Amino acid sequence: MGILVGGLGYRNLRDHSIGIAVSDALMERGWPEGICVEDVSYNPVALVEHLREEKFESAVIVAAVQRPGRVPGQVTAYRWDGQLPSDERIQAAVVDAVTGVIFLDNTLIVTRHFGCLPEITAVVEIEPEIHEFGESFSTAVTAAFETVCELVTTLAEDPQALLALPRMPLGGSSHDRS
Amino acid sequence: MCFKNLPVEFDSAGKPFLKAGINNPYEWKGAIGAPAQLTHDKIETLLRKNGHIKSVDFDPVTRVAGALAFHSVVDFKERKVIEARSMATLFRGYEVIMVGRDPRDAIFITSRACGVCGGVHSATAAMATEMAIGCKPPPLGILIRNLSLAFEFLYDHPLHLHLLAGPDYSAAIVAGTNPSLLARAKKTQTRYADIHGYPTIGDLMEDLNPLTGKLYLEALHMTRVAREAYVLICGKYPHPQTMIPGGMSTTVTLTVMNEMATRLVQFFDYGKKVARIWDEITEFFYEADPRYKKVGTRRASMIDTGIFDHPDAYDATYANAGQTGEMRWLTPGVIVDGELVTTDMHRLNMGLEEFVEHSYYEEWAGNGSTPKFPKDEMGNPLSPWHPWNKITKPRPSGQNWKEKYTWDTAPRWDRNAMEAGAYARLWNTALAKKAPKSEFFEPTGHSLKVRLPKGKLPEVEIEWKVPTAWNAFERNRGRAYCLAYTTMVAWENWRLAMERLKIGDTKVSTPFEIPKKGEHLGCGYWGAGRGYLTHHLVLDRGAVSNYQIITPSTWNASPTDQSGQPGPYEEAVLNTPLLEETDDPKQFKGIDILRALRSFDPCMPCTTHIHSEGGVITREVNTCACGADD
Repeated sequence: MGILVGGLGYRNLRDHSIGIAVSDALMERGWPEGICVEDVSYNPVALVEHLREEKFESAVIVAAVQRPGRVPGQVTAYRWDGQLPSDERIQAAVVDAVTGVIFLDNTLIVTRHFGCLPEITAVVEIEPEIHEFGESFSTAVTAAFETVCELVTTLAEDPQALLALPRMPLGGSSHDRS
Repeated sequence: MCFKNLPVEFDSAGKPFLKAGINNPYEWKGAIGAPAQLTHDKIETLLRKNGHIKSVDFDPVTRVAGALAFHSVVDFKERKVIEARSMATLFRGYEVIMVGRDPRDAIFITSRACGVCGGVHSATAAMATEMAIGCKPPPLGILIRNLSLAFEFLYDHPLHLHLLAGPDYSAAIVAGTNPSLLARAKKTQTRYADIHGYPTIGDLMEDLNPLTGKLYLEALHMTRVAREAYVLICGKYPHPQTMIPGGMSTTVTLTVMNEMATRLVQFFDYGKKVARIWDEITEFFYEADPRYKKVGTRRASMIDTGIFDHPDAYDATYANAGQTGEMRWLTPGVIVDGELVTTDMHRLNMGLEEFVEHSYYEEWAGNGSTPKFPKDEMGNPLSPWHPWNKITKPRPSGQNWKEKYTWDTAPRWDRNAMEAGAYARLWNTALAKKAPKSEFFEPTGHSLKVRLPKGKLPEVEIEWKVPTAWNAFERNRGRAYCLAYTTMVAWENWRLAMERLKIGDTKVSTPFEIPKKGEHLGCGYWGAGRGYLTHHLVLDRGAVSNYQIITPSTWNASPTDQSGQPGPYEEAVLNTPLLEETDDPKQFKGIDILRALRSFDPCMPCTTHIHSEGGVITREVNTCACGADD
């Protein structure tokens, strides 16, 4: 039992790769026992299998996601309330997962549907600006990078900080940390 | 006669040549006897004049890999489809990305075309390069590459059968579309309960339910088993790290082989079970209503390059591709209207053309123009529209059924719209009787017998028979039998690999250099779980000057051609009777159309580019791009 810190996204996809850039950076740091930092972009179904074998008390998942009404670089942190969509949407998420889509929403939906995602799961979303292949981030996302790393570190190391996050549906709303 | 439409004849020694005295030999003429869609002008007239004729669009078609949209016009009075248009809605562009690069890049770049079967692209890219540079892999390298392919299929087939197509036959879906059929299913005894454990068809349908059904969940588990075996030799899935021209860059030890075997043997029983489940489903629907034999029906015209190279035969040369292809465990071939017309890779290659009449590309070969490669290295004639002569010129434009409506091209073989699929391999192999002899399988000329060893279930021999009706159900049944066949080919290859290890042969690759001078042609003739896959490569002074990929869904999702000949999805849907139990267009779910489409295991292009009216914009989605060309 412990906490999983997972970065999610595709590599070399500019701002959309910030999730794994964060987990890559955090993996370089020393962590106390019980905190596992990894890139969890290896397919939601495979993550289900991993989480069945290695149980975690809580999780912090970080990824770039486009949501309406946000500005580039905006960081949104919340505890997912775990509410699942309709069966049809879950099935679509599974299909996306098995056919190769790596995305925050389908990862959370698939892992929760199969009962593997820890009850306490924090989500840290960063609003991307550039949507194309490449290695570098936009100015806005670059500016957010350190903030995200520190926020994720705090959430991983301080259970109270994690529990203090507002419980929200997927996508969060106005309780932003930016 | 091999070609009926292309102007290619053969001399007494079997050497092909272009017919003499034809000014423009490859001028467009459609295939003799091919069906044609009504023109869109006629459809518009019918729509205007008849209230019972309506447009029914599926956008996106769900439970397929990637982005497929389908437009149909349905006559609800006659309960039939009168117009069908298949749309690949995303642009892939790997052909454009590859130009100017080192050919080795193709192994890693083209793999990203697909989130399901990236490894087959890697392997095909490696094979195209090894043909271009003349590099023959050692026997163990060939065997291990075969095993990697088999494990991809053992991932792919359960995924399609029970996660994507399977729900169409589940109690949850059938209850909504054909309640009387479900009632019948609950009273219908199964034939193979000793294998799969279901007393009635209704019980079986319950376990095909998405998300909760045991067959659905079991398929998810089996995809893991296959993936585990795959990563033992390829490093990771779906984008392998160990594919190289001249073999593999992995280390094969007894431990690796044993770990592979513990996964592979799990498919002995699973293969029996899946084959019998799809026998049950197919026969139940046929008996309930024989019109189901028409769902997804089209001409039995299909193409496959064959797969699983024999280590004693494969030499990576184009010159010997004809013979080495016929030594494959699944035989290459072309079937036109149910007749096997060739198993020769050179003839298969000669008949290939790609057209863009209804595709978002510019034409590259004017009638009468001289192609860059009028012949292959054996002197066999090639069309200006052959992949080695093709130039990818994307031209986004608005969607128009009379003009352009898809990012897929229209590949044709001898001007025929051909279908690709796992079943095409079985069909070729069954008819040709050329596969290497084995204690585990036997082609009979009209069927293919597969002997699955004892697991928890006893040893069972199953027999896939060449279907008398060709339709959606037979596609699924064929895929199910292909799972069993693939399992036993993998077992055969595993045993041969063990023999190599026993004699101390651990070499899996041959050193090579990319030539920096001259022009070299190569082609990877391989396959995805969904069928046919080729990568045609032109290497010029060490860099790629042309790279053309044709995937199974390039064939299957192809648009109508300039003669009005529909692509396979389109043709299959046009022939599909609407057996759904509703007369209300508002309640219409289109289950029969969707069964027809999903039976092909569509796998469409999903890269970072999406087309909009404003041109080409980008988004972050990446997934399977096996579908449309380019």
